[in-house]
Amino acid sequence: MTGYFHRIARDSWAVCKGMWVTLRTLVKPSITVQYPTEKLTPEPMFRGVLLYDVERCTACGLCAKACPSNCISLQNQVNEAGKRAPKAAWYAIDLGRCSWCRLCEESCPFKPKVVWHSIDYELVFWSRDEMVRCWKPGTPLAGWVHDPKKDAFRDPSGQVVIQEVPARHDEKGPKHD
Amino acid sequence: MSKVDAFPGGKFDQLFVNLGPQHPSTHGVLRVGLTLEGEVITKAEPDIGYLHRGTSKLAEARGYHQCVALTDRWDYVSAMPNNLALCLAAEKLLGVEIPPRAQHLRVVMCELNRIASHLLFLGTYGIDLGAFTPFLHAFREREMILDLYEMLCGARLTYNYIRIGGVMADISPEWASKTGEFLGFFKPRMKEYDDLLSFNPIFLARTQGVGLISKEAAVDWGLSGPNLRGSGVDYDVRKSDPYSGYDRFDFSVPLGKAGSCWDRYYCRALEMRQSVRIVEAALAGLPEGDIVAKGVAKTVKPPPGEAYAHVEASRGDLGIYLVSDGGPSPYRLHVRAPSFVNLAILQEMLVGCKVADVVAILGSIDIVLGETDR
Amino acid sequence: MSELYPKPVFSKKAGRLLKTRLWPTERWASPWSQPQYRRSAGMLAGIIFGILLVGVVVGELSKWGDLLYRLLLTGTAWLHQTLPAYGAPAGFLGDAADITWISFKVIVIVAVINLNGLWAVWWERKLSAHMQSRLGPMYAGGFHGWAQTALDAVKLLLKEDARPADADGAVHRLAPVVVIVPAVLAFAPVLFGKELAAAKLDVGALYVLAVSGVSVIGIVMAGWASNNKFSLLGGLRSAAQVVSYEIPRIFAVVPVLMFVGSLDLAVIDQAQQGYWWGFFPRWFVFWFPAGPLAFLLFLIASLAETNRVPFDIPEAESELVAGFMTEYSGMKWALFFLAEYAYVLLACFMLSVFFLGGGAAPLPFLAIVPSWIWMLAKALAMMFLFMWLRWTLPRFRVDQLMDFNWKFLLPWSFACVGLAGIMLLWI
Repeated sequence: MTGYFHRIARDSWAVCKGMWVTLRTLVKPSITVQYPTEKLTPEPMFRGVLLYDVERCTACGLCAKACPSNCISLQNQVNEAGKRAPKAAWYAIDLGRCSWCRLCEESCPFKPKVVWHSIDYELVFWSRDEMVRCWKPGTPLAGWVHDPKKDAFRDPSGQVVIQEVPARHDEKGPKHD
Repeated sequence: MSKVDAFPGGKFDQLFVNLGPQHPSTHGVLRVGLTLEGEVITKAEPDIGYLHRGTSKLAEARGYHQCVALTDRWDYVSAMPNNLALCLAAEKLLGVEIPPRAQHLRVVMCELNRIASHLLFLGTYGIDLGAFTPFLHAFREREMILDLYEMLCGARLTYNYIRIGGVMADISPEWASKTGEFLGFFKPRMKEYDDLLSFNPIFLARTQGVGLISKEAAVDWGLSGPNLRGSGVDYDVRKSDPYSGYDRFDFSVPLGKAGSCWDRYYCRALEMRQSVRIVEAALAGLPEGDIVAKGVAKTVKPPPGEAYAHVEASRGDLGIYLVSDGGPSPYRLHVRAPSFVNLAILQEMLVGCKVADVVAILGSIDIVLGETDR
Repeated sequence: MSELYPKPVFSKKAGRLLKTRLWPTERWASPWSQPQYRRSAGMLAGIIFGILLVGVVVGELSKWGDLLYRLLLTGTAWLHQTLPAYGAPAGFLGDAADITWISFKVIVIVAVINLNGLWAVWWERKLSAHMQSRLGPMYAGGFHGWAQTALDAVKLLLKEDARPADADGAVHRLAPVVVIVPAVLAFAPVLFGKELAAAKLDVGALYVLAVSGVSVIGIVMAGWASNNKFSLLGGLRSAAQVVSYEIPRIFAVVPVLMFVGSLDLAVIDQAQQGYWWGFFPRWFVFWFPAGPLAFLLFLIASLAETNRVPFDIPEAESELVAGFMTEYSGMKWALFFLAEYAYVLLACFMLSVFFLGGGAAPLPFLAIVPSWIWMLAKALAMMFLFMWLRWTLPRFRVDQLMDFNWKFLLPWSFACVGLAGIMLLWI
């Protein structure tokens, strides 16, 4: 009989302890962020959307080799003599296949890197065609996307909310202010 | 498990119920076909494969370094041990010696990931049994670990941090102090989980004595991890086959007694405490030195041969069997995925249970379908 | 657009982006220094004050009710004399005043139930959010998402009324009605203050408990008619649960009825006025030992009657998806929801009338505050308790639920009646 009452008392006490925890949490400030009116800034190491600097690239192809998903493809320029020139004629990344593994950035022999992860984590597409980003000499870092309706390349800013954050080139911090 | 004789003597219509793949508590895309007599289950058939991606085959067309990125997608809740298992196997093939600092960092990351994974289990198990609040309390702490990972390697879920020959990046003093801050915050929270969920009388009534796995059955079905230890079998790869310098750390392996859902649950809760101990010890005694072994090229071609490495992942004994033919990519990659093996016992456990216990039992096995289906 | 999406801040001095993420360790260190926290605290105080203010207004308006009724009587009497002169049949207007008056009161009650639905859902969302370190709805309406539930109601009105092809059409359509009608009916004798009720019934306590039990038929109908296995299980579980928990719930009220000797809610309320030793309220919850025991039993049984955690077996979403509500959408679903919250409110008012002194002030000098404010405050406190329990506890299994009722609550409710009998020997 005492065991019965002891059990009732113990269980009631356990419930009270649980309720005390929720009550304590109730009066503490919340820890969530009100996305999208509040946006977090990722850490500098964050692996976001890939950016590419076509001006400095020598089209060595190491990044395409390192990529586990085969999402990078490129073509180097050809000079007057018909030989390979250390310049990219075009460069394309299929972000639909990218697994954000950082292997391409690590394989790049340049410092600062020519292809690197920005800290832009917002990436929205309307169709699979838009997932492919293309670069040619003169293209901005974010690249172009192909618009199948107009059969033309255009700026990706319409499809994606690109945060206006400085791009990270290496671990020491962003190159551009 | 209470083997209820469902309506002895009477003949009743059997009811077939599809639990999943779209059901609030199947933890991903698992389908369990239940045959019911009243509320008692007479037959249970787990149906897997909705998330099959064929990573073993994919690995045969990729270099060893690239395979590490594939491992992140098995057990996406705790990807660090997956990375580690593959790297250990590849390093066995290559015969590389890993610098002690890298080994310590691997241990720190794996244990932090174990905490994150068990926190997710704790929260979702509470939801399975109708308690919503522990879920977000657990995720509050899990977010902090993910923040630490983001700071360290840039990813929150698919880390690709542990590489063949070492690790991707060294930790900064800021990171170490942040980790200390997290551990200081986390220790009193574990007491809160106990108050809120572990020793709640309703929770105890739902889980104690439910889904019993005997020691023999656990061994026979090849269970591993907290599911095995919940039944009282003392087997932990970290102790029985130490890797990556686990033998240098002082920690104990919590064991359950009865093998019920609650034992498996509380084994994980206690394992989090041990992981905190290991992380603290590893960070305190972090040796100086390189984080990547010398002599690991960007494209590795191990000599022909085979290697097996296994680690104690968050869900159990994760084994990797690698065969090399001397080429740049594995000839064969086989994964002994703990979730897949642990799931098999479900069809025996569920028979004779009430339909309300399915959720409790399924939740306590703690499967990740990404790993089950691979 | 650009104002809505603030850009991450780049600090040239630090050479990196400024961090906007705060860990709990930082957030919890000094809560009062955070404007967000101060605003939330202010909001809470403001809401409670606002609710009580509404109570004051309604209560004061109720004084005009007698005048309105007298006006109606005079008006109909005048019509009664005048109209037959123009050829209208005599007796046609005999009860016109009462009919008008009753419809007016019904409208008030329905408005109370609807407003309670809007308020309680929002309140539950906010409370649960803050118990889980979240904020809950924050956008709709601009101020802490106050308009969220109202907009949800609009959304539910506009939603397609989907019905499974094999559903039993008539029963499927009828079920929400059978659930909501008793919920409205049960509010008839409920006291909103001292003697402020829609109908004065001599058997008010019995009436409330009896009528609120009718809803379970609607739940079983919903479970059956949906032609869904999960719905069927949910409906049957609900029938078993509600029928079982009726018994300890009614037995928990018996001690109160024994103390008072009447089933009239106004008399029960009246019996708890006054103070022991001049300051200690004579509420039945303090009538040790039967009073507090009956209070706890009634509270637990009410939780089960209203299908709330830890007794929400009929709609246990991790097992039965949404139970008997699975195949309902739009306004039909909203009616189930409205009925659930109406029953919660009903249970809260019953708890405060039976055990917490109704409109009595907790201390003698506070009696200048009108009784409906105390009534409302006690009911809201009970509602907070309901939600607090809901967001703390896990859910019972269906057989444990029955065990708990038949093996624990029922014997204790009998014991409670016995204790009350023994107590009456001395009183």
